[in-house]
Amino acid sequence: MLEKPSKLRIALICGAIIGAVSSVPGISLINCCCCAGVWLGGVLSVYLYKQQFTDEMPQLESSDALMLGLMAGVIGAFAATVLNVLILTIFGPVEGELVKSIAEKVLDRLVEQGSMTTDMVDLMKEQIDQSIRDAGRWSNIFGGLFIALIVYPIFTILGALLGFTIFRRKASPQANIAP
Amino acid sequence: MTFTDRTYLVLLLLVVAWCVGFFLAPAISTKAPGVSATLYACYEPICHQLDGRSFHVEGGKFAVCARCTSIYLGFFCTLLLYPFFRNLSEHSVPSRKWILLAVIPMTTDVALSLLGVHSSTLATKIVSGGLFGLIMPYFVVPVLMEAVSQLRDQLLSRGGLFYARKAQ
Repeated sequence: MLEKPSKLRIALICGAIIGAVSSVPGISLINCCCCAGVWLGGVLSVYLYKQQFTDEMPQLESSDALMLGLMAGVIGAFAATVLNVLILTIFGPVEGELVKSIAEKVLDRLVEQGSMTTDMVDLMKEQIDQSIRDAGRWSNIFGGLFIALIVYPIFTILGALLGFTIFRRKASPQANIAP
Repeated sequence: MTFTDRTYLVLLLLVVAWCVGFFLAPAISTKAPGVSATLYACYEPICHQLDGRSFHVEGGKFAVCARCTSIYLGFFCTLLLYPFFRNLSEHSVPSRKWILLAVIPMTTDVALSLLGVHSSTLATKIVSGGLFGLIMPYFVVPVLMEAVSQLRDQLLSRGGLFYARKAQ
């Protein structure tokens, strides 16, 4: 029987995709939905890995999905940080400005509705401006990398395990049970 | 206590820590602003954290929005009660159609809101997010338990091989 395919190549591809999705301004907003870009990357990694299997190979196991998710998450965290630094260096804080424009619209609407006072909104706008100014600081970049190294693997593992349940072969009729 | 029970307990503690984190961020904002700011930063990559879309405690917003709060609390509730409904050693998962049932209400709510067809309310966020969170452990927990026990077996067999080679 042949050995299972290498996980590293798939993890690198999916890590790069996760990094791109998490750092390209506009597209990265998908992560505001419970890190959807990251856990979908985990699902994708299992799908791509399963495509590598032939009939002569052992079956895909849940431990493969877990390891694949972990590897893709760690690579994704590094890729996102590197791409973020590149985008910041070349284009400036584009994403910060985009988030600022969206947040300002929401805040103005809240003032109109009477849910927030003008003072509170001004304070929040100042905080957003401060975070845009701080975006390029090395402490923030390394802090972001540290957080990403914790958060991304959690969500890619969740995505990969979910992907495993979606893409694995149906085992037995017993599996068709209601939650 | 079996290895499966210990794995379940670790998972439960991690989920509790995750949920306590987003509750704690606003609760300690006046007493420990540094820790609170760090907690907000930890949840920043995964949620928009918009004030108008979040629950509040002591005047401060949670570190995640109302929809995310519902998802995580739903996940925690099912995870807490999971051993009462299913055997932790049972690795089979429900039919895949239940994933659709969990995802469709939430994605519909988000999509209709983005398209401007209907404005998602706090109730729709709580119900659709909560449903997703309540169903997900039925898919994640058995596969995670299976994966961890497989990894343990692999490590043990490698360890066995290592000692066998060393003995030779």
